[in-house]
Amino acid sequence: MTAVPPAHIAQSAIPRSGMGRLLKLVLSEYFILVLCLLYVAGIYPFVPEILTWGVWSNILGDMMPLLVVAIGQTFVLIVAGIDLSITAIISMAAVVGASVMTGTGGYLSGSAAAVPIAILVMLLVGVGIGFINGMSIVWLNMPSFIVTLATRMFFAGAAIWFVTFHSTSSSIADLPRSFSNFSTGSFSGIPYTVLVVGMIAVVAHVFLSRTRYGRWIYAVGANPKAARVSGIPVERTIMMAFLISGACASVAAMIYAARMQTGSPIAGENILLDVIGAVVIGGTSLFGGKGKIIWTVFGVLFLVILDTSMKLLGASLFAIYIIKGSVILLAAMMDTLRNRILAER
Amino acid sequence: MKIGSRALLLILQNAPYILFVVLLVVFGLMSDRFFAIANFRNIIIQAAPIAILAIGMTFVLLTAQIDLSVGGIMYLTATVLALYMTGAPWPVGLAAVIFMGGFIGALNGVVVTRLGVASFIVTLATLFILRGIAMYLSNTRTLMFGDEILTLNRATVLGIPSAIFAFLVVFAVAWVILHQTPFGRQVYAVGGDPEAARKAGLPVARIVFFCFVIAGICAGVGGFVSITQIGAVGPKYGDQIEFSAIAAAVLGGVSLFGGRGSVAGTVFGAILIKSVQNGLNIINADPYIYPLVTAAIIFLAVAIDGLRTRIIERLERRTIRPVSVE
Repeated sequence: MTAVPPAHIAQSAIPRSGMGRLLKLVLSEYFILVLCLLYVAGIYPFVPEILTWGVWSNILGDMMPLLVVAIGQTFVLIVAGIDLSITAIISMAAVVGASVMTGTGGYLSGSAAAVPIAILVMLLVGVGIGFINGMSIVWLNMPSFIVTLATRMFFAGAAIWFVTFHSTSSSIADLPRSFSNFSTGSFSGIPYTVLVVGMIAVVAHVFLSRTRYGRWIYAVGANPKAARVSGIPVERTIMMAFLISGACASVAAMIYAARMQTGSPIAGENILLDVIGAVVIGGTSLFGGKGKIIWTVFGVLFLVILDTSMKLLGASLFAIYIIKGSVILLAAMMDTLRNRILAER
Repeated sequence: MKIGSRALLLILQNAPYILFVVLLVVFGLMSDRFFAIANFRNIIIQAAPIAILAIGMTFVLLTAQIDLSVGGIMYLTATVLALYMTGAPWPVGLAAVIFMGGFIGALNGVVVTRLGVASFIVTLATLFILRGIAMYLSNTRTLMFGDEILTLNRATVLGIPSAIFAFLVVFAVAWVILHQTPFGRQVYAVGGDPEAARKAGLPVARIVFFCFVIAGICAGVGGFVSITQIGAVGPKYGDQIEFSAIAAAVLGGVSLFGGRGSVAGTVFGAILIKSVQNGLNIINADPYIYPLVTAAIIFLAVAIDGLRTRIIERLERRTIRPVSVE
């Protein structure tokens, strides 16, 4: 593991030549955003639809579940952990929440309290699994990779099993309209999902960059021993990151369940690698101590634009796989290069 | 007090084995079919592909790296075999698979060591790319293998079923490389402390590179053994298998932080996982609880390992500061 580069990009004076400007751009934290714009400009001649309102509202809609999970993952990666259980949390929260509010045989079917209680239950499932993860890492001294791998296996299986007690099919359908409104409704033109996830992003950003707890997260991720010596409650900080990740995943479960009006154990099953890829493309380090919510937003935006444009181009699944993989690899190489240039200064 | 700790440590050190024995006894009590010799042979045959994969993964994990692309390597090499080498005799196919697996592993290794990109991301990306290429080549269809491959499943070498034989060969080669050669010692040295290894003059990059090549070869061979059993390769082939391989290695005591573990442990881990699944199958357990039980056992084994590390730390602290000083 190499030394962790500084979290803030140095804004030192760079000669105002063309080369210098290019270098400054590559080193700036808006680099991925610029890549998004360049990509859209480059792909526009082939798919002019990419600049229509309809496509962008789709992009925004597709971004929301990914983004909210990625925000949680950002916290975990900054404390030098990893959370592989996010997709299992989504499955588990979706089916348990659905079992509470479904119109056919739900625990509270028909009751006015069904939806709010279901939402609360979904959050509890997310935070609960996050607590199991955090507890095992902090108290039992287990590596987060293995803990979350085990909880992922366990709860992905448990979600499928859970459905068999509540439905004859493989998912729990017939969710109340007032719940599915969450994905279709809007508040003065802004869809509810965008509103909720946007608020979470802002809160997470403020939390990380403006509060004492945020500074603890970076300190623990950069060097846990030094953090402990400085009096930071390392255990509590790591635990909090996993609780946040669990809560964020359960919000994604709400979005998926509302969109499909169904609590499905396979909703969001395949997004794990996309989420980690997006966060890392944004520039958050897998080794901890470095990352920002705004970077994650750019990373997710980039991945979703890529996905959408491929679909518009009529690319098949294999092309999407190959291109997505290449882009993740390129972004990671570029990030390594950037850090090397920054370290040499 | 000290003796109590030592005894506890001894128990914890052998916890996976104790766990294994307990499981055997439980399954044995619940069904007399579990202890049949034929059943043990089945368990090892079923465990062979994942064990071979996990042996390769062990080399990578020992150097504190990770390889998420093994499922992709399996899928792509098997697809190429099914599409372009249908008429070829199986040794040619096996050689091709070994060559392709090694080559892809080398690509992973070059990007990790030369460009300095984290192996998690590199192999995540190659996983996507390899699966994409394989889907492109096969048009996302399920491809069937001919008799040349299928007869291998029933073939025996010296009375040993072919899958077990392949597994024993890979295990023996890996064991010799890791425990009887300078390269093996260097792998442990690099994983234990890369900085110290560098200062001692070891070619750290080259060692890591070869570990990825070995993981690639093992993925190819593991995939080959798997297709002799399944007889077909489809888009779901090898999906998520990287996690099972890592789980097997970790169950067997391999550390994700490098420098600790052995191929024997890994093989034990793979057999433990398959025994659990086989036992659940024999006692007619609800198929839905298979992943739950498997996950719980992995969790338990790693939790015990964490506890063990903590106790070792405490014991070592005592030896640094002798009691007499007070």
